[in-house]
Amino acid sequence: MKENEFMDRLRPWLARAESDVGEMQAVRLKAARLRALDAVREPVRLLGVVTVNAGTAQTLRYSVFQQGLLWVPLVALLATLAFQSVRESDPGEIDAQLLTQELPPDAYLDQDFRTWLAQPLHR
Amino acid sequence: MARAAAASLIVAAALLTLAGPAAARDDSPQTPWRTLSPEQQRILGPIAPEWERMPGYQQQRMLGAARQYPNLQPIQKQRFEERIRSWAAMTPEQRSAAREAFQGMRRLPPEKQHELRERWLQRHSREPQKSR
Repeated sequence: MKENEFMDRLRPWLARAESDVGEMQAVRLKAARLRALDAVREPVRLLGVVTVNAGTAQTLRYSVFQQGLLWVPLVALLATLAFQSVRESDPGEIDAQLLTQELPPDAYLDQDFRTWLAQPLHR
Repeated sequence: MARAAAASLIVAAALLTLAGPAAARDDSPQTPWRTLSPEQQRILGPIAPEWERMPGYQQQRMLGAARQYPNLQPIQKQRFEERIRSWAAMTPEQRSAAREAFQGMRRLPPEKQHELRERWLQRHSREPQKSR
């Protein structure tokens, strides 16, 4: 009971002191707290790649946008694989187009034609 | 850390993109002629003598081309039949170069494609006269 009474008396003083703490002081206090906690906590392994102090791990906070960005490479990888599988599903399609349009396939090996293809055309 | 993870995934994707087609090209097993359907054998008939000597990836491309055949217009079917043998006789490098140029041509505006086509056809029609 004595302890509770002491806490009740102390709480308004702490609350008042908290409102007087500036932003810079709050940051310093947080850093000091994290340093103190780091000294006693086990290091944390992030994504199995890097080992960081527990306090550092705790301060790693990403916004929703940043978390979304982390998925972009994976989405790009899956999209590339999907596109590739569709493209490779019928590798003869382009050959069929090449064989059946007006110009014969030989034309595309003709050196003059390839030069024309690479140059801007003039009427 | 996030940048490193993202970079590693992008590199992995690029490697997979580059390695995928190459692996598929080299690993395709050969398809014996007798296992083709009668329709496939009819369409690919002009290249039947060369079929067993073709590498698997080339056979797969030919089968892919044959799959498009039923959807072709009559004039396209005629061109297909006339050209498939010389196409199969080209080296892989020549076919690859032709595909690349063909795709480059398709990326041009239609009027430029038309102009290029006309230019080549005109020159091609003059060549036999020159040689006479």
